[in-house]
Amino acid sequence: MHPESELEILMARYQQGDYAAATALIHRLSPQLHRFFLVQPGGRAEADDLLQETWLRIHEVRHTYRTGEPVMPWFYAIARHIRVDHYRKALRTTRREQPLEETPEVAAVPTASGGTADLEALLAPLPESQREVIEMLKIAGMSIEEVARATSSTVGSVKQKAHRAYAKLRERLGGKALSEGRGGGLQ
Amino acid sequence: MKDREIDAILNRAAQTPHQVEPALLASLANSVGASLRPVRPLPPAWTLVGGLVLICAAVAVAGAARFGLHGVEKMSLLDRGLIFSALGIFVWLAATTQVAEMIPGSRRRVSPGTLLAAGSLALVAVFAILFRDYHTHRFVPQGVACLTAGLLHAIPAALVSWLLLRRGFAVNPVAAGLVAGTLAGLAGVTMLELHCPNFEALHVMLWHTAVVPIAGATGALLAWLRGRQDGAAARAIAMPR
Repeated sequence: MHPESELEILMARYQQGDYAAATALIHRLSPQLHRFFLVQPGGRAEADDLLQETWLRIHEVRHTYRTGEPVMPWFYAIARHIRVDHYRKALRTTRREQPLEETPEVAAVPTASGGTADLEALLAPLPESQREVIEMLKIAGMSIEEVARATSSTVGSVKQKAHRAYAKLRERLGGKALSEGRGGGLQ
Repeated sequence: MKDREIDAILNRAAQTPHQVEPALLASLANSVGASLRPVRPLPPAWTLVGGLVLICAAVAVAGAARFGLHGVEKMSLLDRGLIFSALGIFVWLAATTQVAEMIPGSRRRVSPGTLLAAGSLALVAVFAILFRDYHTHRFVPQGVACLTAGLLHAIPAALVSWLLLRRGFAVNPVAAGLVAGTLAGLAGVTMLELHCPNFEALHVMLWHTAVVPIAGATGALLAWLRGRQDGAAARAIAMPR
């Protein structure tokens, strides 16, 4: 069975109150949702909190999923909402708590965390909007149409963000490869 | 470096296995299981869109019928066809967008901001084509009366629409507020077109059309204020003094 249709069935059973289906969804989707949060600054503890908050919200609004619609954009739209809401609140709190100090740029700080250091380092220089598009395409394996649904934008806008992200990565990786090549030549 | 090579690097990085603490997964399953009961999924999108369109039509017709259908009676067939077709298209588009805003992961055909701008401009264009009388008589008092009447009819349209969509969940409340206000504003304009017999071009273009952006902006503002209030309440709970 196609993984997407399997998730749809689990989701329908979860709506009917099936505990086994709810547990199966939690086990299937939590690692990639956790990783979606982990690529952001804040580290593992914050990713754990965001994951918990996301599942609570998913549980509250599970009736808004309609059978036959793609499941992944529904989950990621909620996860993205939780993440945006969290950083908005964090930014407000930071502004209030440290009015005389310079506020660090939240979206650009890379953090070392288990298992995703490479991906995190790769995506760190990208702006938030481009990074989330690449995360959804690569980590969640979503199509461009699904990413557009999850981010409440159009297919054209997602393509543009992915294109710009690739251009930036090409610049960065190309530069890195070049400097490594030069380093190799000197040894 | 080619896109294919970047793809390969990203895929390799993304395929690194990632684990979540088993204790966390167990805790998530427990908290979900504690309040697990069957839920009734939302009805199909077309039902909700149809409901919103009907609400707008009912509010506009009921309001105009109460004050008199003088506007539509004075219109030519062409006026009626163009004005109500344009209003119908934008009401349907706004209803579709509002339903999409209230269901996470829905396909979005047009952004709420674009819809508001396009709707307002299209109405101005239709009015400019149909009404050529550029004289003005009691421009401000008559205009304010129409604007107020339009906005007053937008309120019940917004409230009943909210009742219909109260089980939805807006991932972007400000966008949802903007499109809800736009839809309610379109109901207000429809009422004005049915009722208002003043066909002075500037009156219709300015005061009638203004209902849409004002109602849209009010909807977005209310949603933003509510979000700030919820945020403040959450902070107060998180950091008790």
